[in-house]
Formats: sequence, C-alpha cells, structure tokens
Amino acid sequence: MTCDEARNRLLDARRGRLDPEALAALRGHLQTCAACAHEDAAEALLSEALEGRLPQHAAPVALKRRLAAEWPRPVTAGAGPWRRWGRYLVPAAAVAAVLLIVVPLANQRASERAATRMVAEAVNDHLRILASAHPLDIESGGIHQVKPWFEGRLDFAPVIRFDGDQDFPLRGGAVGYYLDRKAAVFVFNRRLHTISLFVFRADGLPWPARGLQPVGGGQAHVTTSRGFTSVLWRDGELGYALVSDVDPADLARLAERLAPKS
Amino acid sequence: MARDVGEAYDHGMASWRRGDAGGLGREALAYADTLYNLARYLTHSPTDAEDLVQETYARALTAAHQYTPGTNLKAWLFRILRNTFLSQYRHERHNPTVGGLDTVAPTSQGVEQAQWLRGDLELDRLRKVVGEEIERALMSLGEEARTVILLDLEGLTEVEIALVVGCPVGTVKSRLSRARAALRALLRDYAP
Repeated sequence: MTCDEARNRLLDARRGRLDPEALAALRGHLQTCAACAHEDAAEALLSEALEGRLPQHAAPVALKRRLAAEWPRPVTAGAGPWRRWGRYLVPAAAVAAVLLIVVPLANQRASERAATRMVAEAVNDHLRILASAHPLDIESGGIHQVKPWFEGRLDFAPVIRFDGDQDFPLRGGAVGYYLDRKAAVFVFNRRLHTISLFVFRADGLPWPARGLQPVGGGQAHVTTSRGFTSVLWRDGELGYALVSDVDPADLARLAERLAPKS
Repeated sequence: MARDVGEAYDHGMASWRRGDAGGLGREALAYADTLYNLARYLTHSPTDAEDLVQETYARALTAAHQYTPGTNLKAWLFRILRNTFLSQYRHERHNPTVGGLDTVAPTSQGVEQAQWLRGDLELDRLRKVVGEEIERALMSLGEEARTVILLDLEGLTEVEIALVVGCPVGTVKSRLSRARAALRALLRDYAP
C-alpha cells in the first residue's frame, strides 16, 4: 500500500467503511510509516475537535414552534377514506346542525324579543297618553289641521292615510317619543275608548319578522299585551304602532284604513 | 431575497394547511436543529439561517410527493436546504474558494504532504484549538468545503453526501479530503 492509498483510506477506516482486509492492510502500513501515522493522528484530532468543540447552533425555539404549528397533523394510523373525510365531515355536520336547529331557534327567539320590546314600548306610550291630563298638543279640527301642526316639530313628515270618520274620530295630535326617537302621536276614539297611533322613523328598529298578519296591502305584527291590542307595521321609511284596549276587531278595522293599500 | 423567501414560505404553508404533506411525517421537524446549524454555517447569519430553514420546510412540503417514505429524510432535507441556499444566497456572498475544491491543482497536495511531516507540533495545536477558532476556520472555507465537512460531521455517508450536493461519490471523497486538509492548515495558523 502506498502512502497516497493509505491517506485516502484514513477517514474510511474511522467511519467503518473498510472491509477487514483493507483495514488490516492500512494498519500494517501505519505501523511502518511515521508520516502516515502522523497523518492518521492529526485526522483523529481534527474529528475530535469538530465533533466536540465546533459550536452547534440550535434552531430558535420560536422557529421550531412556528414550524410545528404550521405542519399538518398526522392522519391516525389505519385511517381509511371514511376516517380521512370524517375529519371534515364531523365538524361540517356539527356546523350544519347548528345552522339547521340552533340558528333558526336563536333567530326566532331574537325576533320574539324584538317584537316584545316594540309592543311594550307602544303600550307604555299609550298608557302615558291615557294618564296625561293634557295628552294632546293640538285639538283636532280635522287631519288637515293636525298634520301641518307637526311641521318643524319633527325630523320627518308623518303620513296618515285615514283622516278619521264617525266610527273613529280623530281627536288631535301631539309630539311624543317611541323608544329612542321622536314620534307623531295621533289619537282616535272608538266610542269611549282611546286609540293611539304612533308614527316614527322605522330605520334601525328590531322589527319582528315572524307571526305577521295581512293588514291592508301589507304585513303587520298583531298581539295583545296587558289587555291592550297593538298593531305594528312599516310603510316605507316610517313605522306605525296602533294601540288600544278597544275590541281587537275594531282595532283591526282601523288598522285596515291606516295601512298601505295593496 | 426576503420577498422570495416569504412567497415560498406562504406557498408552502398553504400546502401544509391543506394537509398536503404527502409521505412526510412530523419526524421531519426533528431535523430543525441540524438544518438550522448547517444554515448558520452556510449563511453566516442567524436571520438568514432562520429564513433558509423556513423555506426549506416550505419547499419540502411542496415537493412532498417526491419523497419516498423509508429513505433518508435527513439527507433529502439537507439537499433542499443546500439547493435553496445556492439559488438564493450564494450570489450574495463572497466565496473564498474560487473555482471550488474540485479545481485544486493536484500538485498542491505535495505541499500538504510536506506539512504532514512537521512532527508533533500540529498535533499539539489541534489538541488545544478552541471552538471559536474552529468555527472561524470553518467559516473561512468555501461553501463546498464547509458543506461536505458539516454533512460528514452529521453522519451522512459519502453516497448520501453525493446525493445532497449532486456530484459523484468519488468527487465527494476527494472534496472532503481536501476540505479537511485546508481546515487543518488554517487551524495550524490559529493555534498559539
């Protein structure tokens, strides 16, 4: 074995890549060649320095966490196509159940709460009219006298489709409030009963979307609360709340006259 | 460079989120330290090394279908890392080994042989050399020399190193031998 051949095999010998015969030949050469023996010792020391003293730079923890967080989770062993799709189908089914059952129920309850709130406000406002010693700001000389009175007192022009008649005479009007906004209040009578009509801007209110009944050419929410019947409807940008303890059938007749025609 | 790294990373991450890991398992993440270590010695920069490792994993995911389970995953990842480095970093760096180790003239080996005969002085210096000096010497070598030394240090066989660097096994053998000889020569100068 020449020195070049021996030196070319030094690293192979240390890495265990030589067969026994070649290893024996190399060892024989190193025993008789001081230069190659020195070279073998120097290579061993270099490996020792690299393996033991060369700084090893570990990946930053943040990098590892980022990589681990982004790496896809393994599919469970033995998972077939159904299990594989199940990862997506199960959550999807849960979402569908929520959409089909929970969401409609939640919507229904939200709608009911909204209707209750608007009805309660209408009844309370009607009670204020009844309790007030001077409920009317303008005594009625007819709708053409009452409507102009609101000019400058409201930020909208109340639209009234019914002027009053013998069955439902218009007593007068006032400026009131409905929830967070001003309202035009019209007071009708039905025999000895007082009927209040509140007209206000309809935007931004939680109008009930369920349980509506046809009134005139539109839809209205009709309900009874605390002995008072209330009829709520929208007509364009305006909202209407009609409230009274009069017979519901009579109130329905008045609502038909006030509501938009089909 | 940062934009390229970011785009590749985003693309890779999109594949990951689709669960498109192919034959790659989470054991690939176990090589983050060794990949980062090689990246540090290749790029000279902690920030660039981090970007390089991120892009390596991103590219690994996009090429997951090319990996055969059961083969050397570590070597496969090293190959991606080095190719990424060569394509994006090398032109920005000064390479001290002009022409590469493979172009070293055979006659220069004779000079090294003469130095081998200088007695025990070199052995004493190698015993006393400290980590900082080894690192500085290693970093002053060319990329090819650093890569083969570090891959050998990681325990890769010559065949595996050949796959990583994309050259014949014989070339790896001579390249590694010359790289180690160059490192020893540098360490002789650093030692007291």
